[in-house]
Amino acid sequence: MQRSHASVWFVAPAVSLMIILLIAPVMVAAMLSFTDYSLGNQGFEWVGLSNYETLLNYSSYKKMFSASLTYVVIVVPLSVALGLGAALLIQSLRFGGEFYKTIFFLPVMATLLAMAIAWEFALHPIVGVINDTLSYGCDIGWMYNFLTGAWYGVDPASSWYGSSCDQFFPLWLGDRHYALGTIAFIGTWQIFGFNMVLYLAGITGIPRELYAAAAVDGADSAWNRFWLVTWPMLGPTHVFVLTITSIRSFQVFDTVEALTRGGPSKSTYMMVYAMYEKGVLHNLLGIGSAITVVFLVFVLAITLTQVYFVNRRVHYS
Amino acid sequence: MNAQTNWFGETMKHAFLLLCSIIVILPFYLMLSYSFKSPVEIETNTGGFFGAQEMMVDGKCLKAGRPEAECTMRPIVYNYTAAFSEAPLLRYLLNGVIVTLSIFFIQVLIALPCAYALSKLRFWGRDVVFGLVLFCLLIPVHAIALPLYVMLAKLGLTNTYAALIIPWTISVFGIFLMRQFFMTVSDDLIDAARMDGMSEFAIVWRVMLPTAIPALLAFAIFSVVAHWNDYYWPRIVITGDRDLMTPPLGLRMFKSDLDGDEYGPMMAAATVIVTPLVVAFLLAQRRFIEGITLSGMK
Repeated sequence: MQRSHASVWFVAPAVSLMIILLIAPVMVAAMLSFTDYSLGNQGFEWVGLSNYETLLNYSSYKKMFSASLTYVVIVVPLSVALGLGAALLIQSLRFGGEFYKTIFFLPVMATLLAMAIAWEFALHPIVGVINDTLSYGCDIGWMYNFLTGAWYGVDPASSWYGSSCDQFFPLWLGDRHYALGTIAFIGTWQIFGFNMVLYLAGITGIPRELYAAAAVDGADSAWNRFWLVTWPMLGPTHVFVLTITSIRSFQVFDTVEALTRGGPSKSTYMMVYAMYEKGVLHNLLGIGSAITVVFLVFVLAITLTQVYFVNRRVHYS
Repeated sequence: MNAQTNWFGETMKHAFLLLCSIIVILPFYLMLSYSFKSPVEIETNTGGFFGAQEMMVDGKCLKAGRPEAECTMRPIVYNYTAAFSEAPLLRYLLNGVIVTLSIFFIQVLIALPCAYALSKLRFWGRDVVFGLVLFCLLIPVHAIALPLYVMLAKLGLTNTYAALIIPWTISVFGIFLMRQFFMTVSDDLIDAARMDGMSEFAIVWRVMLPTAIPALLAFAIFSVVAHWNDYYWPRIVITGDRDLMTPPLGLRMFKSDLDGDEYGPMMAAATVIVTPLVVAFLLAQRRFIEGITLSGMK
């Protein structure tokens, strides 16, 4: 009797906080998305689905969806492939693996906002070290030949590098054709070390005997061993890495807010930034909440896909 | 495979990984390097890593009417003193410590008893509560930011420490993690404590807490790293008051009111903000990797 009494005191604070700080806000967001609420107004009007119609019809929100999806489509495959590649390489090294592991994990640890500002310096069109190095290469014969593809018989002037040498190198964050790719590059830079560590843990978990067995079955090259043993045995890791990377890519905010504010011409206007801009800066909580709800649906869809795959037993243990 | 090809393969792998390392390190290198250099060296991209460290005169200092001798210093000294004097960087760091530690302690205070009850006590509705925990795990923080902001604004709590801390006091992930950990703790230990006449309350804090130290340490790293680096939430609830800003937000303000040659001091501030976690990481790598990839442990 006394025991059950204690459990109420143990569970009650957590349960009430979960309801007040997690469940209620989701419901409030859903509710606000059907209103025209602004902070400081006395009341609000129910506006039905008009916020959602706005999301579907206005070009800036179309750009928002396409920018968010493009970002995810760039960052997820790149960071997963780089993470897996780095893990495989590091794991096969005789020495020095720990060194690379430490370096590749540094971006995961470091304050992203600070590092974003450092990248902005590196990418500065005039004094930045990246364009500086690229234009330096224009005057070095072999590098110019290599990067323009001239060694392969390509006309240097028609290649990206060659024409950039002739005119100018991109403005990166200031050019609407490059900005999203540049933000995605920073995102990949930040997250791939995290995936690498998860893959390293997955690889260590594969029983050695399986490789011996595969060798008996004639899988003698590293390539065959990878496809026969490593890749399928990493099933659960793949599912987890894909899920967490997709969700994190949808949540990109720091780099957008600090470097582009969604520009130039909305090319990097992604969902979480749009949510912040509409809801907090413009005080349009109805439309901000509608973006929130759509965002939540995306994230839940990713999570449910994960649950589906986990239940399909992508693991062989 | 003979030794020759092995050696070749190994070299190629190192060459490739080194190239990747250079790209990964680049922003860290630039941040440090700019924090050492004079404005001229930054503008012209000269001076190597450390800069020439030639004496420079601080214009603002002269304008303030101080003698020239007092205003002449090496760029590295100028950058770091400016970082601390032009913006309340110390205050930002202190806020970062206050906020991250408060969040962690409250999270443990709330999560530990709940996890204990969920794993070791039998009570009506236990499955419902655990179901609720699992359900809440699905809610991404970005999806509740706006309503929480509205709630806090209605209560007049924006621009307070409370606004920075309250939304994070509940960590369903912490509850889940601790519950999984407590499931592995033997019931005999708890029964023995009850025989000794310990109350349930004492059992949580004097028996369960000490056994959970390794899991708590990993959770501490997870929580502290996340909230030290968090920029999204402070950006929303702290709008004007510099005395409440956390390190990333303070750095962002530094960037917005940048006038001309303040890049050096800004990068010095960035270095100061990034350094504590990076150093801690280098010292206790295994623990950090374990803590940050916790969410991968299920």
